[in-house]
Amino acid sequence: MDTFLSLVFLASTASGTIANYGMIQPQSPTVEIGKNFTATCVLYKDALSTAEDIYWTNRNTIEIPKTQYTKINDSAVNVTITITSNTGQWLYCKSRRLLSPVHGILLTKEYPPEKPTNLSCEALQSGDRISSYISCTWVSGLKQPVTQDAKYTLFVLYSNTLYKNHTQRGMGIVDLSTFPNFMQLEIWVDEENKLGKVQSDRLDIDANELVKTNPPSEVKLIPEKEFPRSLRVEWKHPIHPTYLNLRYHIRFCTASSKEWFEVPQSDTENYTGSFRLQDLKPDTLYLVEVRCIHSSKGGHWSDWSKSVEARTPEAKPASKPDVWRVIVPMEGRSERGVQVYSKAPVESNGKIRKYDIRFPNKNWETVTVNNTDLDSSFQNRKITVFRKIDISDSVTAHFYVIAHNAVGMSPEASLVIPKISQDLPHVEALRWYNNEGKLWVKWKHPINRVNLTEYVVEWVSVSDGKMDWQREHRHISQAAILGNLQKFKHYNVSVYPVYSGMAGKPRTTVAFLEQGAPEEAPTLRLKRIGKYDVELQWFEIPLDKQHGIIVNYTIFCLLNGKEYLTETILPTTFSYTLKSLSSHTSYEVSIRASTINGSVDSPGTTFSTLNYAKGEIEGIVVGVCFAFLLCVLVVLILWFKFKSWIKNIFWPDVPNPSNSTIATWSPDFPSKPDTPKEGALADVSVMEVEADMLDSKSLFEEEKTCLPLKKDKYLSEEHSSGIGGSSCMSSPRQSVSDSDEGSDSGQTTASTVQYSSVVATSGYKGQTPSLLRPSQGPTQQPTFARSESTQPLLDSEEHPDLLGQEGSGQTQRYPCNPYFRRWPGASEDGGQPAAEFSHLEMEEQGCVAMLRFSPLDEASQQTTPTEEGQSSDGQPADPASSYIPQLNGYRPQ
Amino acid sequence: MYPQLEISQLATTLFSFLLVMVVDASRAGKSCRSQACGSSLQRSWRFTRLLHKESDDLLKIYKTSQGDLSELFCKMSMDNVPDPDISGLDPSARIQSMYSHIKTFLPHLQRVTEQQTDLQIFSNPLLSKLSDTYSRTSSLGSQISCIYQMLFPNSPLLEPAGEPTPLPLSQNIFQQKVYGCVVLKRLKQFLSNATREIKALKHQTCTKGPKPNIPS
Repeated sequence: MDTFLSLVFLASTASGTIANYGMIQPQSPTVEIGKNFTATCVLYKDALSTAEDIYWTNRNTIEIPKTQYTKINDSAVNVTITITSNTGQWLYCKSRRLLSPVHGILLTKEYPPEKPTNLSCEALQSGDRISSYISCTWVSGLKQPVTQDAKYTLFVLYSNTLYKNHTQRGMGIVDLSTFPNFMQLEIWVDEENKLGKVQSDRLDIDANELVKTNPPSEVKLIPEKEFPRSLRVEWKHPIHPTYLNLRYHIRFCTASSKEWFEVPQSDTENYTGSFRLQDLKPDTLYLVEVRCIHSSKGGHWSDWSKSVEARTPEAKPASKPDVWRVIVPMEGRSERGVQVYSKAPVESNGKIRKYDIRFPNKNWETVTVNNTDLDSSFQNRKITVFRKIDISDSVTAHFYVIAHNAVGMSPEASLVIPKISQDLPHVEALRWYNNEGKLWVKWKHPINRVNLTEYVVEWVSVSDGKMDWQREHRHISQAAILGNLQKFKHYNVSVYPVYSGMAGKPRTTVAFLEQGAPEEAPTLRLKRIGKYDVELQWFEIPLDKQHGIIVNYTIFCLLNGKEYLTETILPTTFSYTLKSLSSHTSYEVSIRASTINGSVDSPGTTFSTLNYAKGEIEGIVVGVCFAFLLCVLVVLILWFKFKSWIKNIFWPDVPNPSNSTIATWSPDFPSKPDTPKEGALADVSVMEVEADMLDSKSLFEEEKTCLPLKKDKYLSEEHSSGIGGSSCMSSPRQSVSDSDEGSDSGQTTASTVQYSSVVATSGYKGQTPSLLRPSQGPTQQPTFARSESTQPLLDSEEHPDLLGQEGSGQTQRYPCNPYFRRWPGASEDGGQPAAEFSHLEMEEQGCVAMLRFSPLDEASQQTTPTEEGQSSDGQPADPASSYIPQLNGYRPQ
Repeated sequence: MYPQLEISQLATTLFSFLLVMVVDASRAGKSCRSQACGSSLQRSWRFTRLLHKESDDLLKIYKTSQGDLSELFCKMSMDNVPDPDISGLDPSARIQSMYSHIKTFLPHLQRVTEQQTDLQIFSNPLLSKLSDTYSRTSSLGSQISCIYQMLFPNSPLLEPAGEPTPLPLSQNIFQQKVYGCVVLKRLKQFLSNATREIKALKHQTCTKGPKPNIPS
């Protein structure tokens, strides 16, 4: 921003749009950081300002305090500022009377140069000579910020000739056209910026000491058969000795270790082209490298030559083979199976080609070894397995082994297996740990250390069953396993104390060279899904895929993709029940197996909890069934207990009409009917009209309430119920009266009315099946028995001869009586079974008959004055009275 | 794959670098440093030996570069070429003689370099080796001068007077080739003599300590 404004200001000034109000001196100076800087602002007349109006700013906005100003005259003011790394690039002189700055200058901040140090130069070999280019490096004395004005010059002076070159900061190259062998050089660096110029110390050096030659060429490593512990190294000089007198440096290592050993430089300081390495191991592959340097003290070492390798010749084995055993108890037998193993001697000095072994009480046997491709170094010592033999538990067995290579035989090794009853103590507190990429085992010495000679550390890979061992000194209580262990593999490590050649009982632990995340997660199985829980089951990860010791399992339960439950479970648990779930909800569950160094998750398994718990439905069903059965049982009990009472309610006893006194009253009927049939009793209904029940007032009121309905609901009569139906609308008796009204209107005024029991088809046909059966009806005249009631007689009763004429009209009303519907077995047209008697047909007939009612009749009924004992329409009140028994049941007569 | 292209690039790079580099051949204030007699003469002996070895290589390359009749050229003799023999009775005179011979050889070497630059292609290593030999011979002269000043600080080292072996005038190519071979042979022979002379001088002077300046 500061720069931008300044550029705008300068551009404006250049374009002439802004007047020139003054000037700052000095112009664009280079200022030293840490020092004071003084600038003077001189105002011109165009500024129309005085020195009092001047103020200075740095960074465009920060006004410099007036205490740092010095007034020179009315038009000039000095300012003195201390230059720091935070000082802005631009310093402005401004006037309070002007909007734009009077003038601005660019401050270039620098440190003064300091002396360059650590000057070092070298010249590389080029072809068969030394390159004429000398490259130098140094530590610059110019501190940051370094401007582009800084200059670096590298000088080389020799033989009265000065070479120089402008270089970069801290490094440079000078071409001398010919490398000045055997010349004394002076080399130095000049560094300068606007604040000064500094020269480094001069490097006064023999030009040959700058040389870095190529490494020695054609390096050879030559074994000599008669010297199995020696190798001869030869090389060629990288450059002719007339140019440079060189000394050499040799280093070597075994191919298996890569740990370099250096030959003392004093042994190779002479200008030579060969050297003999001694005290090497026989039959070992060695790598050798050589480098060189100028023979004087200074100079630069060449790079190491390319490695050359050679194997020392073989020698006779110098140590015993390493013999070990595995003992397998045999079930049911007092013997042990013994498998003897042998590793080549540590100092095998060559490839072991065969073993001689002597089993207990046997002669020597020879076992040929096929390990020609193996090195004799420790890591590659091949294990030879001898045949397995059985030895008795009660004997101490001795084994002897001798190893042979191409040159000779080793000393004899022995292995003693004590009898089983010999209880040799074991080590204590065996544990393991990892350190520096190795597996370490640590133990405590046995309590009784008498005759303890050494320890054997044995390890067995669980994945492939490979076994190996190593021996440790009796004073050692921890050891790194030197075998070629693999990461993430499960090993059983055992430590045996050895007492005078006899191994004691082992202590064993599970160990890993390095633990990692399990290779695979356990497979999660839903063992049981409940309403509020789920039981999970999984299986242990195979040992070779655990990649470590499982420290725990973690079960994750997700609900709608969000974590719902997390349970950490011991590594010895392989099933778990997740609780606190919701019913009928979908969850996703997964399991994580963890070692100390990682974990692996199984894929999610989705399940839904049940809507009903197991047995819940069955319980409900059983409960309902049980309740139902209970209800049935209660009903049955009640039935049997209150059978008669219920029967009386629903099927009341109907008095036998034959027992009615009417029989004795009617002249046309014998005092006792001739048909004492049981069924006939049911067909006859006798209504006893009681005076108290025929309360005219009540009837009148009831009739009134029914009146409006009559007008409209005549045709709905058939909808009324039977016994318990409406007393007015459904009254067939009303219909009879209505129909009779027209024909017998004159009778309604009779003061004395004869009443008859209404029998025949308008009565309770269902209860008079025998006498009034239609099958018998057409030929049988309706019978009217004069009762003692005051009910007036019907026309048919008084004019039985008219029945035949009006038969059709009369009989067609009957079906409107709901009792017809309950007539169980007959029809009026004779011969038709009851089942064929159509309900619809009955309704049609009945309704057609009712349609004959004239509204005039109704009007006449309504306008006709009533008297006590008669209905309002002039009809006797028998319809109402005839229904009273229906409403209140059929009282026993 | 494209050797000419590579050489061209190399030459361009070299030329660019040389443009940047400024060689200041001005005299430095201190021409010789005070060094022990033994180390100084030892260094000069080794340098002379190196120069002799390089002159041998140079002669071989020269013969290779001159075509089929190179051996014939070099068997021919020619006048006005510096004599390789070092003369003088005492060390001072012999050193003076070496110095004079070196100074005499330098213009001839320069002439041969100029002639071969015209005859050979730019990339021929003969040219760079001729340049190196010229530079080293000049440096050897400086070293001889320093040895003389060290051993005889009160006696000025005289520059060769006149031109005992004037440079040849115009020569045809055959003559140029013969001339160059003769110069290089004489130079090689001279350097061989100088090597022996410096080694002897080291034994004579440094083992007994520097002799006092005895005016001859």
